[in-house]
Amino acid sequence: MAEAALPGARLERRDALLGLALIAPTVLVLGAVIVYPLLSAIYLSLFSLYTPTLEGHWVGLANYRAVFGSSGFWSALATTAVWTVGTLTLQVLFGLAMALLLHQNILFRSLARSLVLFPYFLSTVVAVLVWRWLFNDLYGVVNHALMAAGIIDAPVSWLGTMPNAMLSIIVVGAWKFFPFVVIAILARLQTIPEALYEAARIDGAGPVSRFFDITLPQLRDVLTIVILLRTVWDFKEFDLIYLMTGGGPVNGTRTLPLIVYQQAFGLNQMGLAAAHAVAMMLVMLVFMLAYLRRAGGRVA
Amino acid sequence: MADRAEPGRLALNAPATRRTALRLLAGAGAAAGLGLTAGCASDDGRRTLRWWSPQAAPDQVKMYRAQIAAFEAGNPGVRVVFEPTSDEGYPAQLAAAFAAKQVPNLVTHLPSFTAQNYYARGLLEPVDDVARAIGEQRFFPGANDIYRTGDGTLCAVGIGNTAVDMFWYRKDLLQKAGLSAPPATWDELREACRRMQGGGVYGAALPYGMNGMTSLIFIGFIHRAGGQLFSPDLEVAIDSPATYDALEFFKSMREYCPAGASNFSWGESLTAFVSGATATGIYGGRVLANVAAQNPGIAGAISCTTYPTMSREIPAWTFNDFPCLFIPKGAPHLAETKAFAASLFAPPLYIDQLHAAPGHVLPTLQTIAADPAYLANPLIARYPAEIDLMTRTAAAGHNLGQETAKHRPNLKASEIISSNTIAELVQRVVLDGEAPRPAVAATAARLRELMRG
Amino acid sequence: MTNRQRPALIASLVTWPLVLLIAFPLLWMLLTSVKPQAELFTTPPDFLPNAITFEHYRRVLEETAFLQYFRNSLVVAVSTTVLVVVVAVLGAYSLVRFAYRGRELLASLVLFTYLLPSVVLISPLYLMLVKLGLANTLASLVAAYTSFALPYALWLLRSFMAGIPEDLEAAAMVDGASRMGAFVDVVLPQALPGIISTALFSFILAWNEYLYALVLVNSDEARPLTTGVMTMLISAFNIEWSLLMAASVMMSVPLIVIFAFFQKYLTSGFGAGGVKG
Repeated sequence: MAEAALPGARLERRDALLGLALIAPTVLVLGAVIVYPLLSAIYLSLFSLYTPTLEGHWVGLANYRAVFGSSGFWSALATTAVWTVGTLTLQVLFGLAMALLLHQNILFRSLARSLVLFPYFLSTVVAVLVWRWLFNDLYGVVNHALMAAGIIDAPVSWLGTMPNAMLSIIVVGAWKFFPFVVIAILARLQTIPEALYEAARIDGAGPVSRFFDITLPQLRDVLTIVILLRTVWDFKEFDLIYLMTGGGPVNGTRTLPLIVYQQAFGLNQMGLAAAHAVAMMLVMLVFMLAYLRRAGGRVA
Repeated sequence: MADRAEPGRLALNAPATRRTALRLLAGAGAAAGLGLTAGCASDDGRRTLRWWSPQAAPDQVKMYRAQIAAFEAGNPGVRVVFEPTSDEGYPAQLAAAFAAKQVPNLVTHLPSFTAQNYYARGLLEPVDDVARAIGEQRFFPGANDIYRTGDGTLCAVGIGNTAVDMFWYRKDLLQKAGLSAPPATWDELREACRRMQGGGVYGAALPYGMNGMTSLIFIGFIHRAGGQLFSPDLEVAIDSPATYDALEFFKSMREYCPAGASNFSWGESLTAFVSGATATGIYGGRVLANVAAQNPGIAGAISCTTYPTMSREIPAWTFNDFPCLFIPKGAPHLAETKAFAASLFAPPLYIDQLHAAPGHVLPTLQTIAADPAYLANPLIARYPAEIDLMTRTAAAGHNLGQETAKHRPNLKASEIISSNTIAELVQRVVLDGEAPRPAVAATAARLRELMRG
Repeated sequence: MTNRQRPALIASLVTWPLVLLIAFPLLWMLLTSVKPQAELFTTPPDFLPNAITFEHYRRVLEETAFLQYFRNSLVVAVSTTVLVVVVAVLGAYSLVRFAYRGRELLASLVLFTYLLPSVVLISPLYLMLVKLGLANTLASLVAAYTSFALPYALWLLRSFMAGIPEDLEAAAMVDGASRMGAFVDVVLPQALPGIISTALFSFILAWNEYLYALVLVNSDEARPLTTGVMTMLISAFNIEWSLLMAASVMMSVPLIVIFAFFQKYLTSGFGAGGVKG
C-alpha cells in the first residue's frame, strides 16, 4: 500500500477516541447477544445436564476427559478435517475460476452472475432434498445421465457407500458455498485498476503472466480472509451433512458438529455437547492463530 | 419491546449519499415492521392456548382450524393458536421451551416414548381425566397402556395410531411370479423377492441408512425373530440368537433392495414402493394416498398384511409410534386445555382430522373406526380390508418404549434411537461385513451405557 | 483484462455451460414444480413434464401462510443486512485507519465469538431472550442473525478497506473535509463492492437460517420462510414434494431477480476518485 505522496498528508492515526467509538457498536452488539450465551455454554460444559430442563450436577472436567478420551472424538475430528479441506479447496478453486470468468464481458453477464449465486441462495434443507433426489439410484437424474452417456452401466449409490458419500458431500458443499468466494473475489477484482493491466500489456506480458503478476497479488488479501472465514464456517457445517448422509455410512461422514447436535438434542446431554463444542472451538482457535500468524500483515 | 441499538449513532456521518439515506429509511421501515409484527399474545382478554404438532401438512392444518373454530365457538373467552413444529426440530424446540418455561399448552402426534421420557422428568401433567372425558371405553382395548407410567397415571393419550411397518406388496407382481398368497415367513419372503426381482424392479425397500428408520425397523425384525432388545425388566437382552437371525436375514435381503438402500430413510423407502420400483414395501398407510396421487396406475394392485416373521410360530409384531397428546406442566389455563384436548376426539371433526391423512393416522377410538362417516372417505372405502387390518394391528402394536405388554416403560427409548446405535449395528454387519458377535457385544455395551445415562 | 467494449465470446462459450450446470438444480426444481404429482417419480426419470400445472403454486399461495412467512423473512433479512452493514462498516474503518491499544486483540476476539458451534448457544440465548421479553418476535431473530454475521462482515470489510489507498482521504482532508466526511465521500464509494458483498452474505444468512428460527419463533405471525415451509411440508414420514418445489422456487427466484439488479453495484465501485496511477 503506497504511502501518500503529499507531504504531511499522512492520516492521523491517533484519533484513538474516534476509532474506539466506531468499533463500539460492534462490541456492543456482540457483547449483548453472543458473549453471555458463549460464556454460558462454556460454563455448562462443566456439568452433566438434561437438555430440556438444563438441570443436572457438577462434573468438573469429567466431560472433557470423556471427550478427549473417546476415539469417537478423534476419528470425527479427522473426518471433519477431510471434509473441510476437501470442500474448501473446491470452493476456492471453483470460486476463483468462476469469478475470473464472470469478470469478463460475457453475454448476459448480470443473469449469469445471479444464476451462479443460486446455490448460495437456496435453503440448505431444500438443497439437500433436491440433491438426494438427483443422486437417487432409482429415479435420480445423475445416475440416469451417466448411464445414458455410457460412463457407468449400473446405478451407483452416491450416498450409501464410502468413499462416495464423502465425495458427494464435498462436491455438494462446494456447489452450495462457492458463490460466497465468487462474490468476494469478484468484488475485489473490480477494484484492480485497469491501468496496471494496460501497462503490463504494453510491456508485452501475456494473459497468464498478467494473472500471476497482477491479479493474484491483488487478490491475496481477500483470498486470505475468504479462506479463513470459509474454513471456520465449513468446519462448523451441520445441516448439509446431517441431512445428506446422517453421518453414515457407519460414521464415515460423521463430523464433529453432528456429534454436538446428537449429544445436545438426541441424547439430551447438554453438558457433554457443550464440552464437545468447546473442544471444537479450541481446535479452530489453534488453526486460526497459526493461520493469522502465517498470513502476517496481509490481513490489514 | 425493541431492545436493540437504534441507528441514531449514524449522526456521526453526515447523511451525504442517497444510498445511506435509503438504507436508513429501510431500517426505519423494518423497525416499524418489527414492532408491528411482534408475535405477542392477543390483548383482547381471551385466554390463549398454544397447540403444537409436527403433523402440519396444509390438509391437516385446515382440519385443525375447523376443530379450533368449533371449540372457540363453544368457549368464548378462549383462543387457540396452532403452531407447527417438525419431526426433526421438536427436540430442540421443546428443550428450549421447557428450559425457558415457555411451554405450549398441548402437544400432539409425538411418539409415546417421548411423552414417557418427559413425564419421568416431571415435565408433563397426568391426563387421566382427559381420557375419562373422552370416554375410556371408547378406546381400543389396551390402546392407552403404553402411556401408563410408573405411578399408575397416564402421561399421554393416543390421538392416532400408525402401523408403521406393514408389509406392502404388489398383487400383480406376485401373480406374475407364480405366487398365490403373500409370504408369511422369511424364507417365503426371500423366495418371493427373488422371483419378483428383475426388469428394473427390485424385491424390497428395506432401509440400511444411518438414521432413525433403520433403527426402528430393525428392532421390529429382532422381534419377528422372536427376540427383544430389553427384557421386561429392562435388562439388555440384545445378545441373543434372535438378533443374529435378524442380522442374517437383513444381510440376505440386501441384494433384493436397490443400491441406494444404504442411505434409505422414510421418504426414499416409501417412494421406492409407490413409484413401482420395488415389489414390496415397508411402511404405514401413507402408501395409499401417495399411490393415488403419484402412481394411480398401480392403485388396484396394492395390498398389505403384517410383516412376515421368521417362522409361523412367531407372532406378528408391528411398530406403532403411538402418536399421542400430552400436556406440558406449567402452561397456563389447565382446565381449558384439558377441555380442548378432549374436544379434539369428538366426531365429526375428529374424523375430518383423520381423513386429512387417510390410512396413515388411524383412529384410536373403536367408535370412530366403525363410524360410517369415517368409512365413507374414498380412500378408506376403497381399501377396507387394509384399513381394518392396519387399525387393529396398530392398536395392538408396540415400540421400543414398550416392546411387549409385559415390559416396563423404557424411558430412554428416544435417546437410544437418536444415538443411532442400532442403525450402526446394522451398517457394520450388513454393509461393512463385520463379524456379528463382537458388533452385537459392542452394541449391548453401548445400550447399557445409554440406559445408565 | 480484455477490452471491455467487445463482448468476450470465448469466455461466454466457456462460462455459460458452467453456469447452466451450476443452476441445473434450479431448472430441475422449476420443472418439477409444474409437473402433476403422478409424474414425480417415473423410472427412468422424465426430465420434461408431459402436462403443466400451476396447481402447486396455487395451493402454496392460497392454502398456506406462505406470503406471511415471506414478508417475515424479508423484514428480518433486510433489517439484519442494514444493521450488519452499518455496524461492520464503521468497525472495519476503525480497525483499518486508527491505532489504539487492543485493536488487534479486539479484531481477533470478534472472530473468536463465532468459533463455537451455534447449537450449544441455542438454549442460553433463548433463555436470555425470554427474560428480555423478546421471545417469539422478529426482533429476536434480527438480534441473533446480526451477531452471527457481524464477525464475518467485519473481517471481510476490513480486508476490502485495507486495499483502499490512503492518499485520497488525505487529499480530501487537505481540502478541508473532516475525518468522517472523508470517510463518507471517499472511502464508502470505494468500498462499495465490499459493502455489497457483505450485504449479500448477511441477507442470505438471515434468509436461510433454520435452527435458530425454529427455536426462537413459534407463532405463525413471526415465523420466517425457512421454518414455515419446512415444518409445513416436511415431516419424518412424508414430504409434500410438489408443494415443496413450488415453495422453494418462490423462495429463490425473487432473490435471483433482485440480485440481478443489485449486482451492477458490485462493479460501480471505482470511478469515484480515480485511483489510476
